[in-house]
Amino acid sequence: MSTNHFAVVTHQDGQQITIQLQGDLDLAASGEFRSFMEPLVTDSTNQLTLDLSKLTYIDSTGIGILISIVKVRKAAEAPFFVEHIPSQVQKLFDMTGISKFLTSSQ
Amino acid sequence: MTDSKIQQQVRLTLPAQADYVDLVRLTLYGIASKIGFCYEEIEDMKVAVSEACNNAVLYAYNQDGGMVDIVFDIGSNELGLTIRDEGSSFRAEQETQELLGWHDKSIDEVEAGGLGFYLMQALMDEVEVVSIEGRGTEVRMKKRIQQFSEELR
Repeated sequence: MSTNHFAVVTHQDGQQITIQLQGDLDLAASGEFRSFMEPLVTDSTNQLTLDLSKLTYIDSTGIGILISIVKVRKAAEAPFFVEHIPSQVQKLFDMTGISKFLTSSQ
Repeated sequence: MTDSKIQQQVRLTLPAQADYVDLVRLTLYGIASKIGFCYEEIEDMKVAVSEACNNAVLYAYNQDGGMVDIVFDIGSNELGLTIRDEGSSFRAEQETQELLGWHDKSIDEVEAGGLGFYLMQALMDEVEVVSIEGRGTEVRMKKRIQQFSEELR
């Protein structure tokens, strides 16, 4: 087994932007991820979705970034969805209480 | 962790930098699999040990060159984890007070951060934090194999 290097794959269809997160979203990946997301998050004209199907790990740093995104999008009344949450990630979302702030488009 | 059931010990010393925390998770995976923990228990411990390491990386040292020690105490049906730094600036008492999740909070009340210790407590069977001013912080955690815990009842 090897380390699960963090990566993002972007799918854009008009104003609909889906970001697929891959690998481990940990402290080491958090700076890169935050910078990548910032222009997308602050553009309230798009419909932003995170696809977590290939996310292998998340910690409180990653969860902190997600809640920051939720707050910015809510303040701007801009759509933000989180989809395909793996079970071990869902467990952490439920444990921390972030689940109630996340919406799925499906 | 003075437990007579502990049989073996593995020690890891790494630079207190974010890029090395994944090595702790890999090592943990190997050791926990050997003991017989299930997938979900290993995932829980991966998060808990990373949170402790993250704190050492983020708060322990004001300059580069700091190290973090991770000790794996391997029992026949449990794993002890000790994460130790020799930093000086850790806010353990302040940090450990935030032991609540976001369940009863509104989005405006929630702030990113402060979840690390909450997760350690929630994911492990035992968590203890000892922080001595000027001498560093030690986080001691333990998890038992669930199946074994149930057999004991």
